[in-house]
Amino acid sequence: MIEDDIYRTSSQFRVWSYTEQSLQSLRATTNVIASDRVRTALRRAREAQQSATPSATGTPQPGSDVESKASDEKPIDCLTPEEELVFVRYYCESLLELGDEYKPPLPTTVRATAIQYLRRFYLTNSPMTYHPKKIMATALFVATKTDNYYMSLRSFAEAIPGNPSPDEVIAPEFLLMQGLRFTFDVRHPFRGLEGGVMELSAIAQGQGQPTPLLPHQTAESLKQGILSIAPPPTPSSSISDRIGRAHNATRELLKTAAQMTDVYFLYTPSQIWLSALLLSDRPLAEYYLETKLGGPITSTPSNPDPSNPLNEIRTKLFKVLSDCAALLQAYTPLSADASQIKNLKRIAKKHYKCQNPEGANMSQKRDSAPSRAVSSAAATDSGQVTSESETERLAKKRKLEEQKQNGPKDMFGGELVPDRTKGQ
Amino acid sequence: MASKGIDRRDEDEVCPVCKSSRYLNPNMRFLINPECYHKMCESCVDRIFSSGPSNCPVAGCRKTLRKNRFRAQTFEDIGVEREVDIRRRVMQILNRREEEFDTKRNYDDFLEQREEIIANLVSRTNEAKTNAQLAKYATENEQSIRANLALEEQEATSFQARMTLEQEEAQRRRQIARQEYENERRELQAGREDMLSRLASGTTADANAIARESSKVHLKKSSARRSEEERIRLKQAALRGSETKRGTPLSNSEIAGAADSGLIKGLKKIKTPELEKPYDPFMGLVPETRDYFTLQESYPSTFLERQRQNVQGSAGGYDLREYYSRTMLEAFAGLGVFVEEEVSKREAEKSSKPTATEGAAIAAASE
Repeated sequence: MIEDDIYRTSSQFRVWSYTEQSLQSLRATTNVIASDRVRTALRRAREAQQSATPSATGTPQPGSDVESKASDEKPIDCLTPEEELVFVRYYCESLLELGDEYKPPLPTTVRATAIQYLRRFYLTNSPMTYHPKKIMATALFVATKTDNYYMSLRSFAEAIPGNPSPDEVIAPEFLLMQGLRFTFDVRHPFRGLEGGVMELSAIAQGQGQPTPLLPHQTAESLKQGILSIAPPPTPSSSISDRIGRAHNATRELLKTAAQMTDVYFLYTPSQIWLSALLLSDRPLAEYYLETKLGGPITSTPSNPDPSNPLNEIRTKLFKVLSDCAALLQAYTPLSADASQIKNLKRIAKKHYKCQNPEGANMSQKRDSAPSRAVSSAAATDSGQVTSESETERLAKKRKLEEQKQNGPKDMFGGELVPDRTKGQ
Repeated sequence: MASKGIDRRDEDEVCPVCKSSRYLNPNMRFLINPECYHKMCESCVDRIFSSGPSNCPVAGCRKTLRKNRFRAQTFEDIGVEREVDIRRRVMQILNRREEEFDTKRNYDDFLEQREEIIANLVSRTNEAKTNAQLAKYATENEQSIRANLALEEQEATSFQARMTLEQEEAQRRRQIARQEYENERRELQAGREDMLSRLASGTTADANAIARESSKVHLKKSSARRSEEERIRLKQAALRGSETKRGTPLSNSEIAGAADSGLIKGLKKIKTPELEKPYDPFMGLVPETRDYFTLQESYPSTFLERQRQNVQGSAGGYDLREYYSRTMLEAFAGLGVFVEEEVSKREAEKSSKPTATEGAAIAAASE
């Protein structure tokens, strides 16, 4: 199918599509690396407080230190991948609300893009390293740019709660872009939904065109088909009313559930909006898929004819759509559930304790960004992102720079032999 | 061949039609017609055929002759005259060239076949059939015949031009040689005179020296001249070579469109070069083909209807069909892409050949 091949060229498929397993393992790896880093960083900070000698700020030997001191200190309790996910989701939801702060409110696609940026960013970065509150505003600002909804930085920053300065808003911009692997294209299901509804109403009015692969269809037969499907869950006066209702319900689902769950990583936009349509008006969606695929979608192949590509798609699509629909249906907003709010508060408290103190300093990153652009661009191409490991390197670099600034205090200049060799 | 007509002042030659003899009419010219090759005098032709085609006046010959076909006889023997005519005609039709044949053998076969046809026509065996064959071939291969004819003409003219050029060249060479000889002679004479005068004016002591010197000067000059001549000859040879080279591609240029008729075997298959197709940037893909939907001219939608009526928008170049096309494409782009399956396959491929970055990631993680 040509449309599928077109989608396969998108960066959303090439870079940002995962299997459920790989998504989980990626989050777990990110979490493990970040937790390690948080522990060493916090320990380092504590040591710096305890010992007054400036030499302690020198580069520690992480490997040996961790093992020897881990036992005699209270272990730092880090967030689990699941907690991280909930934490990020909270900020995604507040991002949705943040869009309403503007006059006029930000378009749905801008908000959705920003949410997806945030979700993509936190696949390879941990909220323990970078606080989502800061990244959130930046993501929204980048989304206004990539979705062609121009807004000046100052007017953008004014509406952000906490009133950050414009510089603060764009400070993590490069970091975010790097986390996004410089792929800004997000394929949303919104426009696809519009297309589907457009065609459904054309069919209802008897103007439907046959699908290229099923030339036996006629406008009249399509119209008869849509009029004879099972009645909707909620009764409607006419077929156009029914389509309109399904449209609104689906749109609502796409705005919220589709954004807050992992469907963007696991499914294609076309599959997402069709499963949302299945949830809001099952008979209608099933009929529409039937007109497209030449038969009802079932779990078992109806006539095993391998020559027809539609048959294969039909059987596979059944599973995919029901999985996706289940995922969408399982979503409940955090604010709607008291236990979820409680859980969130617990996570927030925990997060406060296990923040990486070295991840907070982001304005410095911006300065050193261009020099690293090349290397991270290379990482983008090869498809593996190691943003967390990047942090370590940066921490060392920063420390060296600090030492350089401290240098002039020494009358005869700094040490000739670098710390690392001196330690050995 | 180039001898002008047959003007034998044969006193007792008699026109077979009007029986007037050259004795009475010394300006009498005899004409023949290639239809039947019967000889008659000019006045007879005028008399009989001026008012249009008519039968041959010779008894027993029922050929219809026309005045404009009458011409002077070239050869004394009427049989030779006829054969030459037939040959010319056949050669004009069967004018295949050697380079048109696959092998030399095929060309030789063709030549033999041609000779056979000529012999048949001359000896009047199978005449009707052979003529029909020829006519058929002529109509079928009209184009290649014409092309070959043009080629022959071209060759002939270029040959002619070359010949005249060579003649001119030879003439010039002769003139130069003559002039040189003249110069030499004059110089020799002047040298001798000079020597004589010097000998006359000088003393006996240096007489020997003067004689030797003058002979040496003469020798030197002649050797110089010889090398000069050599140089000119080489130059001319080179010129001629380049000229012939320039001549060949003309004759070798390929002729297209010769149909392989049944008459001649072993012709090279002529490949007409395929017409270059217009450049197709999509390599056969029609840009607007879609598999899941057929794009309609318009879709019912109240909120788009306003946009469709908006003259300002469409005047600016905005076409709502663009929106339809994109929207419908996005509705189905990726419907048949099963991420679970395809991504796991992709990852399996990647893990079989670990990339450098992955190695780096592992190293960074273990640090």
